[in-house]
Amino acid sequence: MKKCFLVIAFVVVAVLGYGQQQPLPRLNKFVDFAATVGSSEGSVAGSFVYNWRIGKKRKWEAGLGIRATSYAGTKKDFTTAPGRLARSTTTPFVIVFAGQKTENWDTLTVQRPFVTAVNLSANFGYNFSQRWSAGFNIDLLGFSFGRKSSAVLTSNGITTTEPAAKVRAFNVLLTGDNDYGSLNSEFFLKYKLAGHWSVRAIYQFYFAEYNTTSIKQTAPDGTMVDRFRNKVNSVGAGISYQF
Amino acid sequence: MKTVLFLVAVLVVLVVSCTKQNSTPVEMLNEMLPPDSTGTDNLKFAGNFSNGPFGSATGTAKVYLQNNQYLLALTDIAVSNGPDLHVYLSRELQPIHFIDLGKLKSTKGNQLYEITGSPDFLQYSFALIHCQQYNHLFGSAALK
Repeated sequence: MKKCFLVIAFVVVAVLGYGQQQPLPRLNKFVDFAATVGSSEGSVAGSFVYNWRIGKKRKWEAGLGIRATSYAGTKKDFTTAPGRLARSTTTPFVIVFAGQKTENWDTLTVQRPFVTAVNLSANFGYNFSQRWSAGFNIDLLGFSFGRKSSAVLTSNGITTTEPAAKVRAFNVLLTGDNDYGSLNSEFFLKYKLAGHWSVRAIYQFYFAEYNTTSIKQTAPDGTMVDRFRNKVNSVGAGISYQF
Repeated sequence: MKTVLFLVAVLVVLVVSCTKQNSTPVEMLNEMLPPDSTGTDNLKFAGNFSNGPFGSATGTAKVYLQNNQYLLALTDIAVSNGPDLHVYLSRELQPIHFIDLGKLKSTKGNQLYEITGSPDFLQYSFALIHCQQYNHLFGSAALK
């Protein structure tokens, strides 16, 4: 743990140690390619981002982008998606920290999930120096497509085959388990190389969603559920080209 | 620039290569019940395997009741290899409602699988060798 703090302290000091020579350009436009790897799963993403730098020193930046993320895995567990079943409250933003109602969760093990999501994204960043920056981005709205896959629904110990689970087509960010569809988000640390290129270290949080077509979960309140979500935590790297 | 391209290539290879294929072991197994447990009193259901649409299977499936514990014994089986092969007790020939007894331990030999609880074998009347990942049936035995 001490080593971890030392490494973080070193990075922060190294980042802050670079003095700003001159104000950064007002606009930050770039294309980015990123790849992440998790346990038996991974993703690649390509995006275009248009950020405005704000503030007197132009250290903060925010903007919009469009991002295509392809996610693939093997035998991944998707759990009951609707927020009212998954969490103790559906209040926007509060739901992120709300208790989990695991007693309502069933598991859909999608055998070969493969989802491509194209979404509008919101992007935020802070420039520590000419070379170092950090930021956060999150998908807002878009659509998904991908491969149908067989799946196994496990409900109260009973296993049932879903022959053709399909990717949920519509994505929208409503915070936490209120979300619909497949949405990507990243925390990152970025280092500007010489010229137009930058590299990023990424922590990714990705929602992927599948619908069942033949079978449904019967929730404790009697409603039928066909939406199941996989929450993916992974790390990766990216490369950006700035215009 | 070359370094950057190299890093991207490494990442792509990492992502692509992290897929498990889950093939089944091929070593001969010889799991047997004690001789005093294989009498006709203990044997409840049995059936011979026949080929499925995506693979071949020969041998016998037998359900024994031993000390209030049901066991599925696969004897002298030989199954064509495939990814992610599981042993099911199923209500249907093409499994919809099933009990997963676990991964197939080997493609050949004698094998034992514990059956949790007391399923209704009049409903769960098929023993299956099933590729779970691709939902492909390799072999089936009707238990009678």
